[in-house]
Amino acid sequence: MKTIIRALLLIAAGAAAAQAKIDLVTLPSRETVQLTIYNSADLTLARESRQLTLKEGENRLEFSWANTLIDPTSLEMLFKANADKIDIADLSYPPRVRELGLWQIASGVSGKVPVEITYLTSGLSWRAFYMGTLADDEKTMHLAGYVRVTNNSGEDYENAQTRLIVGKIHLIDQIAELAQRQWPYGRPGEIPPMAPMARAAKGREEKMALGQAVMSMEMAPKQIVKEGLSEYFLYTIEGTETIPTGWSKRLPSFEAGQVPVVNLYKYEEERYGSEVRRFLSFKNDKDHNLGETPIPDGQLKVYRQVDAAGHLSYEGQSDFKYIPVDQEVELDLGAVQNVTVEPVLMDYQSDKYLFDKDGNIIGWDESRTFKIEVKNTREIPVKVEILRNFNTSSWDISENNEYEKVDKDTIKFSEELAARSEKVINYVLTTHHGTRAD
Amino acid sequence: MNNKTNKNIVKVMAVAAVMLGVAAPAAWGRIKLAALPERAATVIRLDNPYATLIEEERVLTLQQGLNEVDFSWKGVSIDEDSIRLAVLSHPDKVKLLNVSYPPGEAALVWQIASEQPYEEQVRISYLLANIDRLITYKALANKAETGVDLKSYLVLRNFSGEDFTQAKVLLDYGEAFEQGISNEETKQMLFLKAAEVPIEKVWTFDAALRPWDPEKEAQNVGIPVSYRIVNDEKSKLGQFALWDGKARIYQDDGHESTIFLGEDVTELVPVGGKMQLYIGDSRDIVVTQRKMREEKINIRRNTGNQIVLYDTDEIITAKLENFKDSPAVLTLIEHIPGQWQMKKCNLKYERKDAGTLEFEIKLAAHGKEELTMHYQRLNVVPDVGRLERIRNR
Repeated sequence: MKTIIRALLLIAAGAAAAQAKIDLVTLPSRETVQLTIYNSADLTLARESRQLTLKEGENRLEFSWANTLIDPTSLEMLFKANADKIDIADLSYPPRVRELGLWQIASGVSGKVPVEITYLTSGLSWRAFYMGTLADDEKTMHLAGYVRVTNNSGEDYENAQTRLIVGKIHLIDQIAELAQRQWPYGRPGEIPPMAPMARAAKGREEKMALGQAVMSMEMAPKQIVKEGLSEYFLYTIEGTETIPTGWSKRLPSFEAGQVPVVNLYKYEEERYGSEVRRFLSFKNDKDHNLGETPIPDGQLKVYRQVDAAGHLSYEGQSDFKYIPVDQEVELDLGAVQNVTVEPVLMDYQSDKYLFDKDGNIIGWDESRTFKIEVKNTREIPVKVEILRNFNTSSWDISENNEYEKVDKDTIKFSEELAARSEKVINYVLTTHHGTRAD
Repeated sequence: MNNKTNKNIVKVMAVAAVMLGVAAPAAWGRIKLAALPERAATVIRLDNPYATLIEEERVLTLQQGLNEVDFSWKGVSIDEDSIRLAVLSHPDKVKLLNVSYPPGEAALVWQIASEQPYEEQVRISYLLANIDRLITYKALANKAETGVDLKSYLVLRNFSGEDFTQAKVLLDYGEAFEQGISNEETKQMLFLKAAEVPIEKVWTFDAALRPWDPEKEAQNVGIPVSYRIVNDEKSKLGQFALWDGKARIYQDDGHESTIFLGEDVTELVPVGGKMQLYIGDSRDIVVTQRKMREEKINIRRNTGNQIVLYDTDEIITAKLENFKDSPAVLTLIEHIPGQWQMKKCNLKYERKDAGTLEFEIKLAAHGKEELTMHYQRLNVVPDVGRLERIRNR
């Protein structure tokens, strides 16, 4: 079992120059550790508590993190007791030593003092993914969310309280780059050169550790407590987790049954070509048995229950964006052939020509009569949305008043089709050209 | 690399003027006397962000008459023209006559005339490269995001080649402090702490920078979120300019722990100025903007029936949705180029400059607003190039 991060308490032997190894007094072990892992960046906030035994007067604490991916500039120590009597004079990154920080502490008390050490590290990550199972009538879906936490940090965090952050954080530097700098803050007057890659050791040999961790797990799946903080959502996994470096772990995040879904089909030549795409539409709200928290971005694999015995058919998958509470989403499951949309140009006419004084054409109108044939060959009712873009904002539609204007050059037809049915949409589009458009 | 501690690379040697009577100075062998004057008080001045000034005091043993003092350095980068020598004990009796630079050496020789034998205290100052300071900030926001506990750290970086076992470090404000720093050492010290500094949280959507239709984007369109801190007394700051540097912002999570909110680099903030720190993007506020109308009106033509001038009639709508459990004030920035006039706008705006409109829109928790902006751009010339050609003819 490997713990690379070490904290040594040193007592200054009087000599100020004593930057080499000084007498080792205690090796305080980590008592608790909390990991707050981000998914929009390779970033984890680690917080560990230890008990330091301080002597009255000057104390030195050496903190080292060889072969891990800790950002040394993020190191901070806080005393959780007697904070007013203990002063951290400075934190030094001694010369010609890598991955080591030295705190100089002036203490007015002696004895055990609880401290909290925090730092940012890279190499831990998590992502969300989902499994949806449609009922055979496809009116509802059972939705299960999972998170997968991966530790490639180089450090085995044992029994860590694990928290996950959903949100888009603004970073100036990548933590992994800061972790690999030769000097924590670089050196004056130059762009900090990268030290030889100190990649985290992948712990293949640590198989036992996970085995033990699994053994000690509760018999029921863990709950994840979710709450909003600033622009983020914080997921706290019940209890603690041990994920040795190199390993990852899947945990259930939420489960919602009977989520009403709309089978939505879309057609838009400019975006999807001549294919119809299938979308699953629902809203992240209470009416859909959801809406407790936003749904983090991830991939959804959709299955459909095909018989009473619970056999499944795979319907497709969709990478979706973060879904805020109350937002309606449309998950793109890809192109289909069982719903078709076919626009046919039935007639073309040009008219209303304008000429300049030399007799050249300077303006005219074009009229196109369209017939759009929409077919639903499925056994279930579907909703179809057809978008038409005109490339000009000078247009009129006639012989149809069922459309919705989306923006200056786009309209939308929305149709509900019963199982195995067809519909026809007719309209005449008149566009104005040249000076007729002015 | 020299691994010895307590290494002094910058050397000062008093060279006894043993060449009395020898006329040609060029013929002097430079005999370096072994007596190496101890460095006394050393000051590292970091008040200039671009260069670091070192001032060190030494005691020179001067003989009556002419003395040569050899000042040399190795493995450090000193701006030769910046080196100054100030005589402290007997400024009237001890005179610096000239300075010579021996060929091919990082050294100089001071010729000093002394009326008496003195143990003379002098101050040598010079600009030393590769030693500087950085400032970093760490802010811990409260859960309600109304204030932060602000800490600022001074980071000393010494890669000058010189060890400073004990030096007085001076910034452009505050007290000097004693600090030793070895070569290649970096040291971080707390130097500013202010509790409960009020902050303002702002969300900004700039229509020129963000996509208009988030539905068409593969990724969520985040609305940048920033904290604003005023550097004044009311904010428990305002004693000096806040130097530029990287700021990391954390937040109290209400469970005796924190989360990391984000980081940004601040510019130097003068007293009274505002520090704005961009922490991350909100994906719970969604702006969908569309142009609903764009028509040419009031068209003026030349005799060839070509358009020479027109106005436009335009309508922009923006749907603003707050999916958060808490209210938010969104700063919405719109741009209208050229000459224009607003015909109708359902929300109040402030005109920031000729072409920039700024809306402060209050969004209730889970609330929605819609902006409809009907304006006309006036006197639009269809093809500037063509008109130019006409004018130049």
